Amino acid sequence: MNQGCSKTRRAETGSIPTVAYHDVKKRFGNFVALAGVSMEVRKGEVVCLIGPSGSGKSTLLRCTNGLELIDSGEITLDGEKLPNDWDGMRRVRQRMGMVFQNFELFPHRTALGNVMAGPKSVLKQPRQVAEHRAMELLRKVGLADKATSYPAQLSGGQQQRVAIARALAMDPEIMLFDEPTSALDPETIGEVLNVMKQLAEEGMTMIVVTHEMTFARRVGDWIVVMDRGAIVEQGSPEQIFESPTKERTRDFFSHLGWSG
Amino acid sequence: MNYDWSVVWRNADVLWEGTKVTVFLAVTTMAIAIPGGIALALMRLSRIRTLSIASAVFVELFRNLPLILVIYSAYYILPVATGVRFSPIATAIVALGLNVSAYNGETFRAGIASIRQGQSEAGYALGMSRFRVMIDVILPQAVRRVLPVLASSWVSLFKDTSLVSVISVGDLAFESMRVRSQTFRVLEMLTAMAVIYWMLGYPQAKLVDWINNRYRVSE
Amino acid sequence: MSLDFSAVFTSWQFLLAGVGDTLALSALTIALSLVLGGAIGLARCYGPSGLRWALIFYIDSMRSIPVLVVLVWTYFALPIVTGVTLPPFWAAASALTVHISAYVAEIVRAGIISVRPGQSRAAFALGMSRTQAIREIILPQALVRMLPALGSILSITIKDTAIAAVIAVPEYMNRSQTVAGQSFHPIEVFLAATVVYFTIIFPVTRVVDIVYARLAYLGRS
Repeated sequence: MNQGCSKTRRAETGSIPTVAYHDVKKRFGNFVALAGVSMEVRKGEVVCLIGPSGSGKSTLLRCTNGLELIDSGEITLDGEKLPNDWDGMRRVRQRMGMVFQNFELFPHRTALGNVMAGPKSVLKQPRQVAEHRAMELLRKVGLADKATSYPAQLSGGQQQRVAIARALAMDPEIMLFDEPTSALDPETIGEVLNVMKQLAEEGMTMIVVTHEMTFARRVGDWIVVMDRGAIVEQGSPEQIFESPTKERTRDFFSHLGWSG
Repeated sequence: MNYDWSVVWRNADVLWEGTKVTVFLAVTTMAIAIPGGIALALMRLSRIRTLSIASAVFVELFRNLPLILVIYSAYYILPVATGVRFSPIATAIVALGLNVSAYNGETFRAGIASIRQGQSEAGYALGMSRFRVMIDVILPQAVRRVLPVLASSWVSLFKDTSLVSVISVGDLAFESMRVRSQTFRVLEMLTAMAVIYWMLGYPQAKLVDWINNRYRVSE
Repeated sequence: MSLDFSAVFTSWQFLLAGVGDTLALSALTIALSLVLGGAIGLARCYGPSGLRWALIFYIDSMRSIPVLVVLVWTYFALPIVTGVTLPPFWAAASALTVHISAYVAEIVRAGIISVRPGQSRAAFALGMSRTQAIREIILPQALVRMLPALGSILSITIKDTAIAAVIAVPEYMNRSQTVAGQSFHPIEVFLAATVVYFTIIFPVTRVVDIVYARLAYLGRS
């Protein structure tokens, strides 16, 4: 939701960004996924990463919570540099929530069981505490009545909402969304985007990799356009969508058939 | 030639004892071989190269040897290698246990590997350690997935227990053939042996089919 | 523990002959089982229902009875019933074939039913007859899917030939027992047997894996 902070964003100096990337580089063999990415995500902001496939958007997201380790550069969370090793990142991951394109709910657990998975296994919370919080979260995403259903019994949109609740159960400082609606039927995309919009209105810091331009335009505070591992352009939604300055941004929009 | 089928009834108690030994061997072996198989699979997937290689060698070795040879070898090698006198039945359990663990090791490895990477990632994203991800996310799914294969593995094991008769373990095969030698009722006893194995094995085979069907439906 | 392999080396010709018997028995059994099992598998899928039930019974029975029991019965009991006494090698070949054909038949059946029903529908839509559709569309795809399981039948058969030792077939296992008994060095003899069997079976398993990896793409629909 445009909280107005986008307009004052660049005017604020001195406040520590929630996440900052300094010249982050990553390659897979010979393929350069990230060619030196630098940007900031401020508290309470919804940053939308857009761009063609293979542009590095998902890689950047996965480097943020350490599912991929970067080759060089640094990523900071609340000003502290993130460790670049798997085990070190484990603690950090507890402070971030991630929602996957394929939902990745645990099929052998109920919806409630899935939402409880983090607090119980990782935070070692007692069963009742975890269960209570999990039911709260399921209510929040509108699926309290599906608590005892298994993922196989839920629609895609429902599964993704449970996945969001699961990530929220860890009380993260920031939520990372990796193309959350790309695997959904058009009818169910709306229900997921609504939950995300609600989260944004509540002030959650979010980084969203998405192809849903309407969502980015309406809910995003800061748009980052990526191509071939680098940031092409970044700015407020008005600026990017209405008057993009870079050729590649305009190209990208015309390929999508996006006319604003 | 006249047949005397009553020899079967007269020795029913001996055959029953043999059957009990057969079932005992199968159950005990599987009780060892399932945790054994999981352990071997985890070793194979471990990042510690020594463990991974040791597991691979172990599994390849036992999968490429006849069980009857393993049984004979165990019979002669175990007492010398460990300095402990093994009873025939203990030898049998060791041989069967090693053998089936190896097969299960490969089964579990394939099962674990078949779970989508995204599942582990979802676990890691929640802050789970590799250990937690394996225990809470991967293994529960892998075990369900390999259940049909384990069921087949059980049926094979049940039949393979007959091989321990060669080292004089008193299973169904051994007792049947012993009564045959004592009474010279060859056809009757051997047929009885076949029929009893059939009666024990047929329902198990059908159960395996049922498990396979149920598994396919829920996919 | 000091090992003395001299007994193995002195009897090497005797043991080597056993390898020949093992390989011969394996090859014969595999060939016969593939043919018989293939026929039974096809009949199981496409034959008249009376025949199908009989075959299902046969297949399930062979899945329930241990190889040892089939071997022993064929060698000792069959002559009593039929009056025909088979020499050990042929008794073993028959028994193993009858047993393994059941597994081959099941593999054939699994391969056939794994081909998507849409494939036969497409074939019929083109105007093919049932036989044509089976022969040209279903079976080729089914065949590729059967390969890994059939490949494992190869190594299973070789391992099962070792059981034929108990009915006096002079294959390698049997000869090892003879040498072990005479030499009082059973450990060395059986260790040698381990090496010999591994050397025979391991390449077979590997080659099957490689062949399947090369051909797997043909079976995917």
